[in-house]
Amino acid sequence: MILAAAMNPDAFSGAQDAIARMRRGDPDALAAMISRYQHRLYRYLLRLVREPAAADDLFQQTWLRVMEKIGRYDARRNFESWLFSVAHNLAIDAWRGKRGESLDHGADAGDSSEPACERLRAGDPDALERLLDFERGAMLAACMHELPAIHREVLTLRFEEEMKLEEIAEVAGIPLSTVKSRLKRALEGLRAAMEARLPGGPRT
Amino acid sequence: MSEPESHHADAETLALAAAGALDIQEQRHLEEHARECPACRREMEIWSGYALGLRQLPQPAIPAHLLERTRTRLVQERAAAADRRWDELMLGALALFAWTVGLTFWFVARIVTGGELVIMGANLVRFGTWSAGSTVLVWLTAAVAAIALGRRRRELRRVL
Repeated sequence: MILAAAMNPDAFSGAQDAIARMRRGDPDALAAMISRYQHRLYRYLLRLVREPAAADDLFQQTWLRVMEKIGRYDARRNFESWLFSVAHNLAIDAWRGKRGESLDHGADAGDSSEPACERLRAGDPDALERLLDFERGAMLAACMHELPAIHREVLTLRFEEEMKLEEIAEVAGIPLSTVKSRLKRALEGLRAAMEARLPGGPRT
Repeated sequence: MSEPESHHADAETLALAAAGALDIQEQRHLEEHARECPACRREMEIWSGYALGLRQLPQPAIPAHLLERTRTRLVQERAAAADRRWDELMLGALALFAWTVGLTFWFVARIVTGGELVIMGANLVRFGTWSAGSTVLVWLTAAVAAIALGRRRRELRRVL
């Protein structure tokens, strides 16, 4: 549905109009844009930082920053890439504020609790079978949750946001070659995590 | 009959293909190879399963009232910015007003005293002395006003 909206020319022209009105300081246009991007932006932030409270705060900070910087936004740039790059930069700043953590911190960073995959594995065989049958997506999400943030980020931008590699590079502020290598490592890491728990992975 | 190991596509290529990150020529080459190689075709299917799974991950629920809370925070921030601009304007106007009053009094004092009002050896109605005194007074007034405005803003923030 999100993709359909993005592909819809009317929706695109509506977004351009809203951006133009935002630049003129129209609060209704800003509210419309927040509403338009709330699911995608919150999902991206949550995948990135993993903690709902932190994602919630970063979501709000992102729009404050958007309001502050919209006058300097270059309308020739892709708004979504710009919006997500604002969110990305704020997440990095938040990480820098946390001593000893960084965006490329390993899978076990900042989470002393039992990993989600382990929690899933801990069930009895029947429960596991049910999980495999009906909650394969949840298992994949749990394994993705354990990946380093830089890998979670490229996966969500590529597969959930369906961004082009160039757009991902713009959001994360990295070269295209790094996007590719992160995608490769992220997928390999995800597959290794899944196969460790579910031999064969999510075969369809 | 399976192909020699060295003929198989490597894991990197297969992962990048699943991510749609190969260029057209690489993708075509891989697909042509997979048509003839069951092992690589199977690997491609597995990677496609991961790609599909990632596109269909369970979606997180939006926190309650996120939209409203964000709007409220934006309104508060906008109001705070407007307050700051107003405070700056008021401080500027106050300084200008104080200077005008000082200059007017200087004229009046010169007329009334005939240009000489000596206290403790200093002629207070000399332009230099008077303007130095006025400047100190203006800065003191501005500092007091700034402190008062800062306190008010902090109290408002506590209330909000």
